[in-house]
Amino acid sequence: MSRALLLASLMLLTWACTSPPSADKKEKSGKTVICLLPKKKGVPYFTSCSVGAEAASKDLGDVELRYDGPTDGSAEKAAEMIEKWTAKGVDVIAVSCNDPGALASAMRAARAKGVKVVTWDADADADTREFFVNQATPEQIGFGLVDTMAKDLGDASGEVAIVTASLTAANQNEWIKHMKIRMAKYPNLRLVAVKPSNEDQKLAFDTTRDLMGAYPNLRGVFAISSVAFPGAAEAIKQAGKSGKVLVTGLATPNDMKAFVKDGTVTSVLLWKTEDLGYLTVEVGRALAKGELKAGATEFESRRLGKVKIAGDNVLLGDPMVFTKDNIDQFDF
Amino acid sequence: MLAVTLVTVKCVNPGFYEPTNLANLGVQLVPFAIMTVGMTLVVLVREIDVSIGSLAGVVSAVLGLAATQDHWNLGTGMAVALAVATGTLVGVVNGCLVALMRLPSIIVTLAMMAVLKGAGQILLDGKWVSSLPLDLRAIAAGGVPIWVGLAVIAGAYAMLTLHPWGWRLRAVGSHPEAAAKVGLPLRRLKILSFTLMGFLTAVATVVSVPQLSVVESGFGSGWELFVITCVVLGGVSISGGKGTLFGALLGVAVMGTMRSVLVYLKLGDQAVYWERAIQGGLILVAAVADRIIALRKSQVTTRETV
Amino acid sequence: MRRALKGFGSYEAGLLGLLVLLMIGFGLADPAFLSLGAQLDLSGPLWESLLLAVPMTLIVVTGAIDLSVGAAVSLCAVCFGLMFQSTGSVLTSGMVSLGVGVLVGTVNGLLVSLINIHSLVVTLATMALGFGIAEGASRGQPFSGFGPTLNPVAKWAVVFAFGAAVWTAVWTRRSVTGQSLYVIGLNETAAEYSGYPVKRSKVALFVVQGLMAGLVAVIYAARRGSVKSDIGQGLELDVVTAVVLGGTSVFGGRGSVWGTVLGALLVHEVRQFASWHWERNELIPLLIGGLLLISVTAGRVIDGIKTPQ
Repeated sequence: MSRALLLASLMLLTWACTSPPSADKKEKSGKTVICLLPKKKGVPYFTSCSVGAEAASKDLGDVELRYDGPTDGSAEKAAEMIEKWTAKGVDVIAVSCNDPGALASAMRAARAKGVKVVTWDADADADTREFFVNQATPEQIGFGLVDTMAKDLGDASGEVAIVTASLTAANQNEWIKHMKIRMAKYPNLRLVAVKPSNEDQKLAFDTTRDLMGAYPNLRGVFAISSVAFPGAAEAIKQAGKSGKVLVTGLATPNDMKAFVKDGTVTSVLLWKTEDLGYLTVEVGRALAKGELKAGATEFESRRLGKVKIAGDNVLLGDPMVFTKDNIDQFDF
Repeated sequence: MLAVTLVTVKCVNPGFYEPTNLANLGVQLVPFAIMTVGMTLVVLVREIDVSIGSLAGVVSAVLGLAATQDHWNLGTGMAVALAVATGTLVGVVNGCLVALMRLPSIIVTLAMMAVLKGAGQILLDGKWVSSLPLDLRAIAAGGVPIWVGLAVIAGAYAMLTLHPWGWRLRAVGSHPEAAAKVGLPLRRLKILSFTLMGFLTAVATVVSVPQLSVVESGFGSGWELFVITCVVLGGVSISGGKGTLFGALLGVAVMGTMRSVLVYLKLGDQAVYWERAIQGGLILVAAVADRIIALRKSQVTTRETV
Repeated sequence: MRRALKGFGSYEAGLLGLLVLLMIGFGLADPAFLSLGAQLDLSGPLWESLLLAVPMTLIVVTGAIDLSVGAAVSLCAVCFGLMFQSTGSVLTSGMVSLGVGVLVGTVNGLLVSLINIHSLVVTLATMALGFGIAEGASRGQPFSGFGPTLNPVAKWAVVFAFGAAVWTAVWTRRSVTGQSLYVIGLNETAAEYSGYPVKRSKVALFVVQGLMAGLVAVIYAARRGSVKSDIGQGLELDVVTAVVLGGTSVFGGRGSVWGTVLGALLVHEVRQFASWHWERNELIPLLIGGLLLISVTAGRVIDGIKTPQ
C-alpha cells in the first residue's frame, strides 16, 4: 500500500515541479518591486529604516516595497534572501551588507540576471552593486566614535574598553579596526579590552560591570552594538559611575533618551535612519527606471532635496551627534 | 576546580574580591541558579528542557509589554503575575506532552524552543520596550533577587531531601519501570518537574529583566545551553536519578565566575578570542575527570565484592 | 529501486503525503515557487543539511546524539581558510578540512564509547570547544578568494547528498553491520553480549559524522566563496530537527534514512516558502517548531493505535 502511495506521490511531485514555470513573468501590478534587506530584522535601528522606506514607497506611488531579512543576522541567510528575490524576478535589491565576502556571489548572480543591486547602510565590494547609499563609512564611524570619546573625556586620556556585538560581526570588526587606527592620534588613550556581548543586553550589562571592577581606572566604554549600548549604560548608571565612566556608541535617540537626560551618556552617534531608508528606496527606483546612471553627481530626493553623489556613493550626509541639548528634537 | 579558579584570580587581580563585585556577581548568577534548580529536577527524572532560553525571551516580552504604559498597561503586579503564569503554562504544556503523550522531552522542548522564539519576535515586532515603570525596576534593585534565589534554593532543597518527592523523583529517573511497578505516579511527577521548570524560568526572568532598562528580543538566547552545562558540570547524571542540587549549584558558580574571572585575569587583547575555547575545554575536562573518578570508584567496589 | 525503498514505512508515507500536500498548497499560493529553476536556486543549504543528517540518523538510531556538528563545520571551515591562506592550494585545504572533521569525530567517538560519557554531555562540550577554537584561530575574521577551482564542488553537492542517502538507506537494510546499529539502539548491553562490535561501530559513526562536517565545510566554501567561524551556528538544531521529523526515535532503535530525507525536505521547503511568499523570516521558527510538534504527536498517536498498551 505504502509503495503505491509513494509512487503516486512522486508522480504528483514531478507534475507539480514541471508545471509551466511562471517565475519569469513580472509582478502583475507593474510597480517597481524594491526589496530592502537589513543585516538583522527585528532590531529598532533597521525597523526605523524600514519606516522611512515605507514612507518613500507611499510617496512615490509606483513602488512596491518588500522588507525582510534574517532574524539572527546570519550572512548565509542574507545571501539566501538575495537568491530568493533574484529567482522571483524583482526589480531592485537593496542590501545592507553583513559580510562582503559571503554575499558577493549572490549579488553578482542577481546582477547577471538583470536585477539592479544597490547597497545601503553597509557597503559591499564595488563590482557587486551599482550604487552605495552611504550614510557613513566604517572609517567615519570608527573615527567619529573615538573623536567623540576624546572630546567628552576632556583631556583625551585614560583607559577605555570596547563592548562589541560578537567577535565574528564583520561590521563591528571593521569599525574596531578604524577605531584602533584613530586612537594613534590620542597617545594617552589606552584600549584595555575588547569584549563580546553576543547581541545580549544582559551579557553587555554583566560584562561592563566586570570591566569596571577589573579596571578601576576605566574612563570610557565604547558600546558599539545597538543592544550593548543600553546594557553598558545601565551598568554604569547602577554602579553610580554616571559621568565618571563615559559610554558612547550608535543607537536610535529614542532608545537612549533616558540615559542622555540623566547624564550617563553624553553623546550618541547616529544618522537619520528614516531618511536613510527613504533615500535608498528613491535611489533604487531611479535606477530601475533608468533615471539614475553611473557617473551622475547629483540626485534629486523628494524629502532631502539635492543629494550629492561621490563616485558611486550617494551621500546621506555626516552622522549626527545627539546630546542632551538636541535629543528631544528627534523621534525615531 | 572552583577553588583553583578562585585562587588564580586572587593572585592576578585581588580586585575581584571587592565586596561590591561579589555582590554584583551574586545578582548576576541568581537567575541562572534559579533555572538550574528547575533543570536539576527535570534532569533527575531523566528528561531535559531546552526551551528555557526562548521561554525567558517570551516571558520578558510579556512582562515588558504588560508593565509599560505605551503597550498593554496592566500595572506591575498584573504584569508579573501574567509573566509567571506564561512560564508556568508553557511548563505544564511541556510536561503534559512528555508525560501523557510519552514523547521524548528533547524533541518536545526543541520544538517548543522554536515556537517560543518565533512568538517572542512577533510579540516585540522589531522594537524594544523601554521606560519600564519604576516599581518594576525596584524588583531587581538591592538584594531582592538574591533573597528570591535563596528562597527558591531552600524550597527545592527541602523538597528534595525532606519531602518524599525527593526520592520519588530520583526513583523515577533511575528506574522508571520499577518506579511505576511500586505505584509511583510517574506522569504526575514528570508534569510536576516541567511545571516547576517553567515557573522557575519565569521567576528568573522576572528578577533579571528589571536590572536592565529595555526589553529586547535577544533576551535569554543561549541560556538553555548555559544552564544544562551547569547541571552537567555539577555532576547531575543526564541519564537520570543521580546528582545533587548542591553539585548543580556549584556548577553555576564555576560557569558564572569563569566568565567574570576571564575579564579580571586581563588576558589581553588577543586572548578574548580564545575565551569560548577555554570554557569548552574546561567543561570537557570536568566531564572526563568526573567519569574517570566514577570508574575508579566502581572498579574498587567490584574488586572488593569479588 | 525496490531494495533501496525497503524501510519506507507508513510514517514515511505519511510524511511524503504531507510534503506533497504542502507543495501543492505552496504551488497554488505562489506558482513561481514550484518552478524547477527556483527550487534549484534555493537548494544549496538543503544538500548540506542532508549530508549531515544522514550520518546523524545512524548516530541517533544507536541511541546517541551529536550536538557538535555545527561547531565541527565551523572549525573545519576555519581550518580550510587558514590552510588556503598559507598554501593557496584548494586541494590541501580541502584535505585539511576533512582531516579536522575526522579528528573531531574521533574525539567525540572515543569519549562516548571508550570512557562511556553520555553523548549529549561530550558533544555539548566539544561544541563549545569547536566554536571556541574556530573563533580563536580565525579571530572572527572571514576567509575568501578561493578562486574558480573550487566551484565544481558546489555543483557536486547534490550528487554527494543523494549518493550518501541512497547508499546508507540500502546499507542499513541490507548489511549485518547496518542492522546491528538498530540492535545497539534497542539494547546496547544485549548487543554487546551478542558479540556486536558496539564500541567500534559508535566510534566509526562519529568519525563519519565528522568527515561529513569537513565535506560540508568545503562545499559551503565553494558555494559562498567565503567562510567564517560562525557558519555552523545553529546547524546542529536544523539537522536534529530533520532527523527527528523523519521519525527517528531519540531513544534509539528506530528510524530510517528515507524519513530523514523527507524530514530535511520538509524543513527546507517550509523555511524557503515562509520567506519566499510571506516574506516574514520571523515566522520560520514558529512554523518549524509547530511542524515538529505536530508530526511527533501524530506519530505517537498512530503508534498508540497500532500497539495498544
